[in-house]
Amino acid sequence: MLRAAVSGALCRRAPAVCTQSSALIRFFSAQAEPLPEAEQDVIERKGIQLHGAPMYLDMQARRQPQNACTPLLLCHCYACIAWLQPGVVLMQALPLCGTLLMQATTPLDPRVVDKMLPFMTEQYGNPHSRTHLYGWEAEDAVEVARAQVARSIGADPKEIIFTSGATESNNLAVKGVAQFYKDKKNHVITTQTDHKCVLDSCRYLQQRGFEVTYLPVEKNGLINMQQLADAIRPTTSLVSVMAVNNEIGVVQPLAEIGKLCRENKVFFHTDAAQAVGKIPIDVSAMNIDLLSISGHKLYGPKGIGAIYIRRRPRVRLEAQMSGGGQERGLRSGTVPHFLAVGLGAACDIASQEMQRDQKHIKRLSDRLYNGITSQLQGVVLNGDDTARYWGNVNLSFAYVEGESLLMGLKDVAVSSGSACTSASLEPSYVLRALGVEEDMAHTSIRFGIGRFTTEAEVDRAVELTVQHVNKLREMSPLWEMVQEGIDLKSIQWSQH
Amino acid sequence: MSAPEARALYRAFLRHAQHFGTSYNIKEYVKRRAREGFTEAQAVTDSAELARVWEQGRQQLEVVRRQSIVYGLYSRRHRHAMDLLKQEGSPAR
Repeated sequence: MLRAAVSGALCRRAPAVCTQSSALIRFFSAQAEPLPEAEQDVIERKGIQLHGAPMYLDMQARRQPQNACTPLLLCHCYACIAWLQPGVVLMQALPLCGTLLMQATTPLDPRVVDKMLPFMTEQYGNPHSRTHLYGWEAEDAVEVARAQVARSIGADPKEIIFTSGATESNNLAVKGVAQFYKDKKNHVITTQTDHKCVLDSCRYLQQRGFEVTYLPVEKNGLINMQQLADAIRPTTSLVSVMAVNNEIGVVQPLAEIGKLCRENKVFFHTDAAQAVGKIPIDVSAMNIDLLSISGHKLYGPKGIGAIYIRRRPRVRLEAQMSGGGQERGLRSGTVPHFLAVGLGAACDIASQEMQRDQKHIKRLSDRLYNGITSQLQGVVLNGDDTARYWGNVNLSFAYVEGESLLMGLKDVAVSSGSACTSASLEPSYVLRALGVEEDMAHTSIRFGIGRFTTEAEVDRAVELTVQHVNKLREMSPLWEMVQEGIDLKSIQWSQH
Repeated sequence: MSAPEARALYRAFLRHAQHFGTSYNIKEYVKRRAREGFTEAQAVTDSAELARVWEQGRQQLEVVRRQSIVYGLYSRRHRHAMDLLKQEGSPAR
């Protein structure tokens, strides 16, 4: 029976003659059979049918809150979806948003994978082991990676500490600095559009008696320098302003803020997760004292990040992780050397490719924006149109419901600007801080363009977006009224 | 290093770019980046710089070769939406 099976395996898989041993291995191995042609093109998940793996245009999102749409929202979408895609089968109220509002990230660059693999296979030593070859190799690799990260921001390797990601770096910066200097200084300043981890760390500090100022932003997403200058007090220890916003792509004036903070002897922290490797950053020129880096935003691995802590003038902070004193006592825990190597390689590649990537991304971003605005009216770009990183395009489509549009764009993995929390349908706090109206905040879609995005994908995204926006608008009574020239703001809606 | 050798190296990049399994984006990136890299190298005249660029190209080819195998081994069972589109769009099928 075995012989028959083996010869069967031989006929089925390898017309050429091969040795009996390899045929045996193939027979016993559980290598997946390729899918039959009919099933190869359709992926069915959570009641949605996708034609092929979706295009990925969601490079910017970070750590969105719980992505579960309420059933109420889905009921609202049902009519639209049934209309748009007759083939789609929707079962009961499912957290559909989860499939589309992915915890977005960037794919690993194959050059980064190449650098990481030896440390995941043969060179598996603990970088803190001092007594054998494995440890020495790992330690050298980590130091090389540290130097690469430092070079990409213009810092010294001694000023870089590896952490588990930008969230941990932000926590360390905000809580660590505030707690160290709490005897003399108890005030922290941040912005209303900063990342959730910074805002949450500030709230944690507030609960423990610190004072926090949340600076408002202008309509274009930038902070007002005069307001910042007024907010700084003699008791301020830290100013934390995000470099590139992950929702709207706006770039804050880091050099100006740094100069102001240095004049007032206040530490300046910036969450540069979306900025490192994409826009030029020089911590000395910009007077930055603390900077957070995230691995998976620059085509590196997830689970690793770094924090830059200035040594001259020295920034002191309280460690948040207690343990064996690794990373200069500031962050205990074994450094995952293969992840650190990945981060270093990603930073290195990013600094070399920055010009090329910027040109490519700007070209694609213009193509996307012009493609959509030339075919649709009522499209608004959220955030300043010059002080921005072009890889992040957040557009609001008037008279269209955001989540319905996302359902239609299931072949394109984008994000809605609206944070689908499990209990409410609140629009994103960033868009709210910009003063964007509720209905426009709900219809915002963020397109993320990166190194690996292609022109064909952008063209297809434009085509699909225009198609679905038009379909939704055709069904919308509000759009009909606007076409007839009725001013929606003047309508008295009656309660039922 | 001569012009036919450079052309052969470029063709090697394009050949190996096809083998990245279902990773449409990586495939396209390798092709685009190789084209950009070789276009820039055309303008280089200094022989030391040329040798360095040539060596860099050869090393990157090694990376592409290795990674095309890894990505091919772990590729998805479903094709990418853009590959499907290309397939549907071309009349030859």
